[in-house]
Amino acid sequence: MGGYTTKLALRSLRHRLTAFTATFVAVLLGTAVIGSFATLVETATGPISSADAETLTIMGAVVGGWGALIVLFSVASTVGITVTQRDAEIGLLRTIGATARQARRLVRAETLAVCLAASLAGALVASVTGRALLAAVESSGLIDHADYDGGVVSLGITVGGVLLVCLVAAGIAGRRATRGPASVTPGEERADAGRMRWWRVAGAVGLIAYGVSMAIVTVTVTKNSDDPYDAMATSGSNSILVGVGLALLAPVLLRWGSFALRPVLGRRSAEAHLARYNTSRRAHLLAGVLGPVIVLTSSAVGTLMAVGTDGRTLPAGASDDGGTITLLNNVVVGMLSLFAAIMVINAFTAAIAHRRAELRRLWLLGATPTQVERSIMAEAAVVAAVGVALGLIASLATIVPFGIARGEGVVPDGQLWLPPLLVAGVIGLTLGAARGAVRRVARPELARSA
Amino acid sequence: MTRLPLPAPPAAPTTNALEVRALTRTYGEGAGAVAALAGVDLAFPRGTFTAVMGPSGSGKSTFLTLAAGLEPPTSGRVLIEGEDVTDWDEEARTRLRRERVGFVFQAFHLMPYLTAVQNVELPVRLAGGRPNRARVAALLEHVGLADRARNLPAALSGGQQQRVAIARALVTDPAVVLADEPTGALDSRTAGSVLALLRACVDALGQTVVMVTHDPVAAAFADTVVFLVDGRLAGRMDRPTAEAVAGQMARLDELVPHEAVTV
Repeated sequence: MGGYTTKLALRSLRHRLTAFTATFVAVLLGTAVIGSFATLVETATGPISSADAETLTIMGAVVGGWGALIVLFSVASTVGITVTQRDAEIGLLRTIGATARQARRLVRAETLAVCLAASLAGALVASVTGRALLAAVESSGLIDHADYDGGVVSLGITVGGVLLVCLVAAGIAGRRATRGPASVTPGEERADAGRMRWWRVAGAVGLIAYGVSMAIVTVTVTKNSDDPYDAMATSGSNSILVGVGLALLAPVLLRWGSFALRPVLGRRSAEAHLARYNTSRRAHLLAGVLGPVIVLTSSAVGTLMAVGTDGRTLPAGASDDGGTITLLNNVVVGMLSLFAAIMVINAFTAAIAHRRAELRRLWLLGATPTQVERSIMAEAAVVAAVGVALGLIASLATIVPFGIARGEGVVPDGQLWLPPLLVAGVIGLTLGAARGAVRRVARPELARSA
Repeated sequence: MTRLPLPAPPAAPTTNALEVRALTRTYGEGAGAVAALAGVDLAFPRGTFTAVMGPSGSGKSTFLTLAAGLEPPTSGRVLIEGEDVTDWDEEARTRLRRERVGFVFQAFHLMPYLTAVQNVELPVRLAGGRPNRARVAALLEHVGLADRARNLPAALSGGQQQRVAIARALVTDPAVVLADEPTGALDSRTAGSVLALLRACVDALGQTVVMVTHDPVAAAFADTVVFLVDGRLAGRMDRPTAEAVAGQMARLDELVPHEAVTV
């Protein structure tokens, strides 16, 4: 039976290679980034000075830890999307006699096959970029000298870890797909779609509460610490934590946000009318896009503003870790942004593809193709506006306490041009993803029927 | 299931709500070309209920697609209220669909995120107009769903969803309502009430309904049944009964050249 599900999984994979592209890319890039830094850790075990070894190990641990979390989220998201797109097919499999366990095994086998190929390719990339990374770290003066000593062990552990993360992600997706009774009804018609589970709310509340309380700790305790980096340790990741917390609540927040935007959306055009109700009544469909938009905004704005404050206020000679910390901050933000961008694009394409039949229906009822496209762009604008607003709020959890701790006060002294720039970038990415989805999915669908 | 008396002929009995002349649609080219419709002439006077029937592959669906302006015919003409719309461009045909043609589909095709009343208003909004609240309320009342106006489709039964779809088809007071197997997804009792509603649209509101179906019981609700076989007209029947239609369909099935089947 196990052999058969595997065979079925491989056939299904060949049948829908494009659907798994996003998972493949996410795992490939994730393994490449984490693997590169993992080779630094392996190099640190070699014959080098203990100060250099510490620097390299910290780098590897920080990037590896954050990387694992990010890969977990993005693989869970991309696999979740490919699975929800097929809810009718999985329902059919179960209707004709596949057990929930078999259906889950199918999802797991598919995901593992994609992740295995992607992570091996990523490890190959990392074996090259790891060398380059070490050379860069050395030439920037963060360490004195080290000979590259990475290889099979660090990359092997990375691949193993990534596969483990994939397995967890596939487990989450499979459980979600087989929740409830077997049915061939597509998800569109289910009345209870999008209801949030208690653990999701609990996780969100926990993350937000933790982020906010660490912000309070920064202002009250670590502000007075001798090491200027103690304040960063308690505030640096708050924007990301609060952002992820808000992202978990995305379905509810999109509904509220769309409600708040009503005066702007108005009653003027049919497109805005449709977008308004689609974002409020079927928030779960676009929540997958809103989540990454929030995290992207909060982490990029929060972390980069903190790095700016750090550069302006660090007492001369107070710490020799400044360069490493700035590098790590930038790498983590870069990695987060990259993955968030992949998730935004993938989730948008999937959300539109999921609604093919519905978009055609609008056309049948007399909407022009332009009206259909505009209603999708209006939805993207709502998601971008709500996501950026929430992301900016979340970024305050880092900016404000760190600014106070470093004596800049509530508003940082410089780089105030940065948030508008990042916001413009995020809005551009969201609208661009929508446009791409319209071009690739909606337009061919409407052209076919014309 | 009560048959209401036939209505008095409307004001301008000479104008047909919908008329097709020598309607032809060919798919593919050269030797592989298949004629889905091969020269069909039909006229649907105002205030009538007509069923279009035929075995699968007879061209019924193609007929509806062309009449609605979803696709242009290969040759022949389509006239709505006497106006030749055949050569209209895509945008004009889109306007035609939302202003002068009402649609009822087998799968209801309601927007899942709009309430019943919002679904009924949708064609008016797409046309850039402001829905007339009183008219929309009256239509929902007419289809018996005044109390479900604020419900989303997911909270309505199949029969109720189809009633909303009928109200939506009527909202622009179209020249003709095109129904594509409107009871195909419903059980027979619900189907009966939906067909009675379509019948009432013709009798009470003076609407013109053209319904494609393969169900003789559904066809018996119409004033007239026209039969298609192989893309050609193969007879018509006035004041049909389910038995007579079923008998005719059985004869038509024998006319169809069946593909060779090896067992």
